[in-house]
Amino acid sequence: MRNLSASTALGLGCIAFALILAFIWIPLDVETWLVERKRGRYIVGDSLAPTLAAAFILLAGVMLWFERRSRDPRPTRQNLTFIGAISFFGLVGILLMRWSGPVVTSVFGAEEYRLLRDTAPWKYIGFVLGGSTMVFCIVSFVEQRVSWRAFWVALAAVVGIIALYDLPFDDVLLPPNGDV
Amino acid sequence: MRKLLKSAVVAAAVIGTSTATLAEDWAPPGPIKMVIAFAAGGGADTQARLIAEELEATQGWKVIPEQVTGKGGLNAVNAVKDAPADGTTIAMIVTSSLGYSMVTAKAGSPQDVTPITTTAGTQMAVVARADKGWSTLGDVIEAAKGGEDIRFGVMSPALGDIAYLVGKENGVDFNIISVKGGKAVMNGLNAGDMDVGFGAGIQAKAVAAGDMVELASARSEPLINSPEAPLLSEYGVNFVSELAFLFAGPKDMDPVARAAIASAIAEVATQEGGKANAFLTKGFGGAMIIAGEELEAVVQKGFESSGALAAAAAE
Amino acid sequence: MADLGTFDYVWLGILAVFQGPEAFSLLGVSVSITVMMVAFGLILGIVVGATPGLGGVIAMAISLPILISIFGFNADALLPVMGFLIGVMKGSTVGGAVPAILFNTPGTPDAYMTTLDGYPMAQSGKARKALKISHFSSVTGDTFSDVVLIVCAPFLAILVEAHLDLPEKTALLILSLSFIAAVVGGSAAKGLLSCGLGLLAVYIGTGEDFYPRLSFGTAALSDGIPITAAVIGVLVIGAIFSELENLWAQKRQTGAIQVAKEEGDQRLHWADIRRIFPYIGRSALIGTTIGALPGVGSTLAATIGYATSKRLYTKTKKPGDPAFGQGAPEGIAATEAANSSVSGANLIPVLSLGIPGNTAAVFLILAAESIGGFNPGPAVFQFSSDLNPELVIAFGLFTTMILANLLNWTVGGVFMRSLGVLVRIPKQYLLPVVLLLTLASLYVQETSMSAIWFAFGFGILGYFMMRFAISPLPFVIGFILGGRIEDTARQAFSATGGDPWFLFKSPIAAMFMLCALAVIFVSLRKPKGDMP
Repeated sequence: MRNLSASTALGLGCIAFALILAFIWIPLDVETWLVERKRGRYIVGDSLAPTLAAAFILLAGVMLWFERRSRDPRPTRQNLTFIGAISFFGLVGILLMRWSGPVVTSVFGAEEYRLLRDTAPWKYIGFVLGGSTMVFCIVSFVEQRVSWRAFWVALAAVVGIIALYDLPFDDVLLPPNGDV
Repeated sequence: MRKLLKSAVVAAAVIGTSTATLAEDWAPPGPIKMVIAFAAGGGADTQARLIAEELEATQGWKVIPEQVTGKGGLNAVNAVKDAPADGTTIAMIVTSSLGYSMVTAKAGSPQDVTPITTTAGTQMAVVARADKGWSTLGDVIEAAKGGEDIRFGVMSPALGDIAYLVGKENGVDFNIISVKGGKAVMNGLNAGDMDVGFGAGIQAKAVAAGDMVELASARSEPLINSPEAPLLSEYGVNFVSELAFLFAGPKDMDPVARAAIASAIAEVATQEGGKANAFLTKGFGGAMIIAGEELEAVVQKGFESSGALAAAAAE
Repeated sequence: MADLGTFDYVWLGILAVFQGPEAFSLLGVSVSITVMMVAFGLILGIVVGATPGLGGVIAMAISLPILISIFGFNADALLPVMGFLIGVMKGSTVGGAVPAILFNTPGTPDAYMTTLDGYPMAQSGKARKALKISHFSSVTGDTFSDVVLIVCAPFLAILVEAHLDLPEKTALLILSLSFIAAVVGGSAAKGLLSCGLGLLAVYIGTGEDFYPRLSFGTAALSDGIPITAAVIGVLVIGAIFSELENLWAQKRQTGAIQVAKEEGDQRLHWADIRRIFPYIGRSALIGTTIGALPGVGSTLAATIGYATSKRLYTKTKKPGDPAFGQGAPEGIAATEAANSSVSGANLIPVLSLGIPGNTAAVFLILAAESIGGFNPGPAVFQFSSDLNPELVIAFGLFTTMILANLLNWTVGGVFMRSLGVLVRIPKQYLLPVVLLLTLASLYVQETSMSAIWFAFGFGILGYFMMRFAISPLPFVIGFILGGRIEDTARQAFSATGGDPWFLFKSPIAAMFMLCALAVIFVSLRKPKGDMP
């Protein structure tokens, strides 16, 4: 019995994805076919280019089966733990960044957040909370301990970025103030 | 050429007196988001950004430009149509976004947004390199009849339809190449990838220098730079391309905010010596201000005639 | 206006750099903003290059939005912004050698080979001399490469524009893409996969139809994926994640840094220069040749330069001289000259064809696209008699390169040697802060939260690609070129009146397509080592 190597598995995944892309996703989710008829002529349709991408992926999948290789790198369980944790911190950080301002404003502010998004201190709430949480969590996770130092680094970073972007430039908006 | 209307005239003519008084005191309740439907760095984008800059300077408003490009301006239309109607969201689009794009995409009607004011028109012409030796569109048609393959560069589907109809009415078949933006047509002409193409005004410098010629006017009236160029109607085509750049707000926009923004934009666009005015004069033949009900009528007419153009080209 | 000739354009380009808006005046000489920005860029580049964990790419990603905020979206912004990026690019190449020599830690991946001889030299007390040799070789290689670029790019562009029609241009783009996919990284299959994913990503939400294709009808995908979010996500954020994981996995402290004592003669003599010059020359030639091919990176150039020189050195060295790998100045020279001479030549395909060959070029294209008014490609080099502003910008860019080299020759070396201290910054603090800074900069440019989500998501994708040993570079280049390939193919198809065989009708186009297939096939057959 032989183990399925990572490259072979990856190749299999590519082939499956390419086929789904070419025969299900593209036909169902694109308006025009490979070519279409317009003004009495054939012109290139919107499906052609994505089908080319699918062909690249398919070819890559087939080649992965045949390619000679010396190493067989693959993500380990440890890798998955790490990226899972980082994704979680990112998710929390970005959500805080987006929503903490509007939530705080709806409780304490006189107007809705949309109108206050260029007014201090409201405009900083989301970035300070979200940004420092993200940095603090990632530092603590990488160091495997919670420290005051990480807290101060996170806070200093957020203040530093505000000083870098917000104070000198009048028309620069920090997240999430550009599109609330 | 259209008369340049001064901002004061606009304010008086297109809006009721009571709204006008209110409009003078109007200030946005927060920062204004200005959605720009054109790619960064192009003529239309620069125009919008200059207007934003001068609105901030003259009115003390805070204007935040945001690029939402694609789909003939429909992405920008979608970005504003349901936004709060208090004057804090406006979009810079082109009349065809509310005309041909909407008709062919079957996506809504001009009433989905509130047109605020136009800023400038276009000098749409059929252009070719001077060394081709052609002087009118008729010469191109002759060349095509003589068996030459003619590549016709267009930057929008509506212009593609017009190019197709020119061919069809005259018994020739152009190879119509669609590209993104007027600059790409100019590059295609220069590189020899195309033989003729549409230019919305970008060709002015090259025409003045004698490197390019305007073979026909795609407007209902002659071109400023080449008044002798024939109209498309001389070749049996009764469709024209008279695009104008305009600002629009969300559906059912507050009339006071609409009037205030319209007159503020008209003011910066026509202010002589201002950056926006200088740019409009250089690139688009001067500011062209149409606002209020007159603008609504123009937009509606464009919407209706686009349907006819699309139908004619689909035959 | 009088007709403009070639030299008028060169002169206008030089003037555009030096006579632009004034930043300040020094002893009565006015210094233009562009000149100042090139200097700033160079300094920043040397600093980030000398800081392990950072690099030119991160610095460019973060500074681009700030620069655009300062200079705005108009053609006047192009030279200061791109000059700054060029400064960063050149500075980081030089700076990367500092920690490599002093602490055996390459500051940038390119500097890995420099550690082989640089660190032994530093250990034997010749740290300053090693730094001087590295600086001299690096800047010489870089300058040589720039000269080649300035001479070749316009000719290549004119050649392309004169002889290639739309079908040939399409075929050339396909050839470049398959070449990049095949040569970047260790595996052609993985390169192709990376490239295919990049193409797929750029085709989401774009296209000619009014329905945004492949968007599942969602609003988030209907405008397509912002190019900056995709590029910075896969390239920068993915690398940050990967680096953070190493720290996390090792959980090690940075520990005490050993500083070697300096002994003996630290000066760089003419005799030294004469000794190392043949090595610099050979490596510069290798680096420039390799650099002119899109997608082949400086790491390969450094490896080949080092290996070739090693073979030669072993034959000719005097007994008693240190061998390669034991502190031979020639080793440093061979490596640094090779990896630095890639950067100039790498801009040949960018400026003449609009095809980015490496990450630095990717950021130059990103800057040009964000600001507008300059579209790198053959159309730039139209020597038209009425003013072609893009050509002036192109010659302005060449001028900023020469300027950056001059600054690098004079103050760069001194500055670089003072930066050993940067290695002490703990990476576990630096990297999360850089992550937040990157996201904030991205937002400043895109003003949309979805850009942050996209960038974070593409960061995770980039991370997984690295864990599968898939290079992210073909992804990025596929993303950048995908739109152009589709547009050119559409135009070529329409221009030929809807001929389905347009890619094979003309001999040149058919040859390009055959080469594209051959490149993939050959790289599949040939077993390769796993290159980083």
